[in-house]
Amino acid sequence: MSPKRKISLSEEELVLALQNREKIAVEALYDMYSASLFGVISRIITDEATAEDVLQETFVKIWHSFSGYSAEKGRLFTWMVNVARNLAIDKVRSKDFKNQSKNHELENNVTFIDEQKNTVYKPELVGIRDLVSTLKPEQRSILDLVYFKGYTHVEAADELGIPLGTIKTRLRMAILQLRKHFN
Amino acid sequence: MEDVKAYIESGILELYVLGDISAEEKLQVEDMAAKYPEIKAEITEIERSMEFYAEEHAVEPSEHLRTRVLNSLVINLGDDNTFTKGITHQDDDRQYIDNQDNDNIVTLPAVRANGFYKYAFAACLTLLLISIYGLVNIYSKLQESNTLLTSLQQDKQRFANQVNLMDNQLDMYRDTTYKVLRLKGMPKTPTAAMILAWNAVSKKVMVDVQSIKLPKNDAQHQYQLWALVNGKPVDMGVFDAPATDTAGVKEMRSIASAAGFAVTLEPMGGSVNPTMDQMVVIGTF
Repeated sequence: MSPKRKISLSEEELVLALQNREKIAVEALYDMYSASLFGVISRIITDEATAEDVLQETFVKIWHSFSGYSAEKGRLFTWMVNVARNLAIDKVRSKDFKNQSKNHELENNVTFIDEQKNTVYKPELVGIRDLVSTLKPEQRSILDLVYFKGYTHVEAADELGIPLGTIKTRLRMAILQLRKHFN
Repeated sequence: MEDVKAYIESGILELYVLGDISAEEKLQVEDMAAKYPEIKAEITEIERSMEFYAEEHAVEPSEHLRTRVLNSLVINLGDDNTFTKGITHQDDDRQYIDNQDNDNIVTLPAVRANGFYKYAFAACLTLLLISIYGLVNIYSKLQESNTLLTSLQQDKQRFANQVNLMDNQLDMYRDTTYKVLRLKGMPKTPTAAMILAWNAVSKKVMVDVQSIKLPKNDAQHQYQLWALVNGKPVDMGVFDAPATDTAGVKEMRSIASAAGFAVTLEPMGGSVNPTMDQMVVIGTF
């Protein structure tokens, strides 16, 4: 098995293979979605080793609770990204992780805090240059808070000091913008 | 149809896709999606957008992780085929939660070596031991000092008593109202001697204990002092020959007037009349 050659299946094939618990499904699942899921996890957890642990947990959980997914209710990725995000947020909020953060040495804190606060702009991520021009900054910040940081729209409204109705509208506008951009 | 459009525009579908929605609302959205194909299509569109958005933000995990993840899944594959076939494929949040709780993957918390507390504890323990040792040392020294102090105090008391007695003794000689009388030995006891003082005003009779030079009396006998009043002996009390180095004065019975004093050796407790042949000293004014 060469690690360079990635397996790709259509979503229907993949779901079927996963339901039949075929080994190839596992590889396809990883090759098709690991980068996207890792992108989401990395936005929540900046420590790379911890983020990798969470990615592994995510795949284990997807594999174990695949019976909880049904194609009628939505796309596979939507379901998976929720699993990944919940695990990552649980990890960030866990006692273990918090203690670990407390133990950061002082001199590391400047960059550490910068990384923690970085909800809007991350230049090392590829391909977002187009998006920067596509989405208005206020649309991006709301979308990222909710999608990547696991804020509820109520919390995001609090954080940004914006009325709830405006949050919902901006979210919708942002996603409409994305739809235009991707189609 | 207006309703459907308003529903789509309310923004709830976006929240649904983002997972930021209550369980009730979720059921409601799923109901609506089942009823209206437009809503279902809208949801799919939103999902696809978010999927693209995630792809745009994709971060390739490191190569070694692929093997690690696949291995952990493949190891589970055998188990799953054997044991979890029975699970009904119900899309049910409860079951999802159950599965979460029941999965046999135990995540070990990352062990972060933190030596600080270990060393701090060791340092504390060392300090404690040193302190205990020091404390024991100081305590034993304190005990020694206390013993020394007690014996010094006793010494001091003894000396103070002695000085007191000497003072009394000196007072006897200094006070002009005392008449000092030296009693001298008899022919049988030429070395015997003794000094006493009689105060004509207060009628007191004091014996200078240090001056008593009498042979040691045994347990059956005591010396008895007699005053000579008009040629007759009057009992003035008994005493023992003092141990050497005894200072002070001994007060005997008082008497208004006396021509002289004498001491005889009498049986224990004294006699009514003096045994004349046992007279040891005598003196007259």
